[in-house]
Amino acid sequence: MNSCKTEDADGLRLVRVTGEVDMSWSQDLRKEILDAMAKGSAVGVDLSAVTYMDSSGIAALVEGFQQSRSSKSRFALIAPSDAVRSVLELARLDRVFPIVESAAAARGD
Amino acid sequence: MSGPALLRLDLPARAETLGELRVALRGAFARANIEPAASERLVLAINEAVCNVIRHGYPGRDDGILHLRIERGRGVLRMRLRDAAPPVDPAGIKPRDLDECRPGGLGINFIDATMDSWALRPLRRRDGNVLTMRKRLRDVRLRTGGRGKS
Repeated sequence: MNSCKTEDADGLRLVRVTGEVDMSWSQDLRKEILDAMAKGSAVGVDLSAVTYMDSSGIAALVEGFQQSRSSKSRFALIAPSDAVRSVLELARLDRVFPIVESAAAARGD
Repeated sequence: MSGPALLRLDLPARAETLGELRVALRGAFARANIEPAASERLVLAINEAVCNVIRHGYPGRDDGILHLRIERGRGVLRMRLRDAAPPVDPAGIKPRDLDECRPGGLGINFIDATMDSWALRPLRRRDGNVLTMRKRLRDVRLRTGGRGKS
């Protein structure tokens, strides 16, 4: 089941993503991330339940990251699955994105 | 391409069919005894090739068709993706600089990093393009202890 939902986690806008992210719905993910960024100064995208991600999903994450840099807000990928990590490595973005293992770390606790 | 087909698919060039495509690809690569991580890389590369056709070959259209054929022979996997979109200039299709952090344009990089070789050519007498990709089987097959036939 593919989904992305945002919740408030002690001040962090936490976007939880599930399933296979591809071009058929990556625009939904993009909108969810940008909406979360518009509503909070710290956004974490939990990718632990993502079983596949293509370049359109990566593009949605890059847009979020770029938006965070221009608005000087906090943005992190949380616990990316092996499937996501391998695509990030392929795109050489694993050392570009802030990657943390928990929502607490994304908040900077 | 002349070997027995591992997979033949005619599919609508629509993003909603990508999930179905990946299921078929994973099944075909499992039958070919491809190692799971390598299979996922091949699935990603082919998914990206199909996305490129949907996005750039048939923009704003939902009546496009794609033909995918995968076969193994002489130690290689051969993958052939044909469309009926307007011809593209192969010289303009190349990987981008990954030092640029920007959204989009990664599909060709994924194909280029995954395949041993690939080539895109427009058809001569009608609309359409053919993308051919090759991958050496010895680099992606599960090792079973015996000598497998390709």
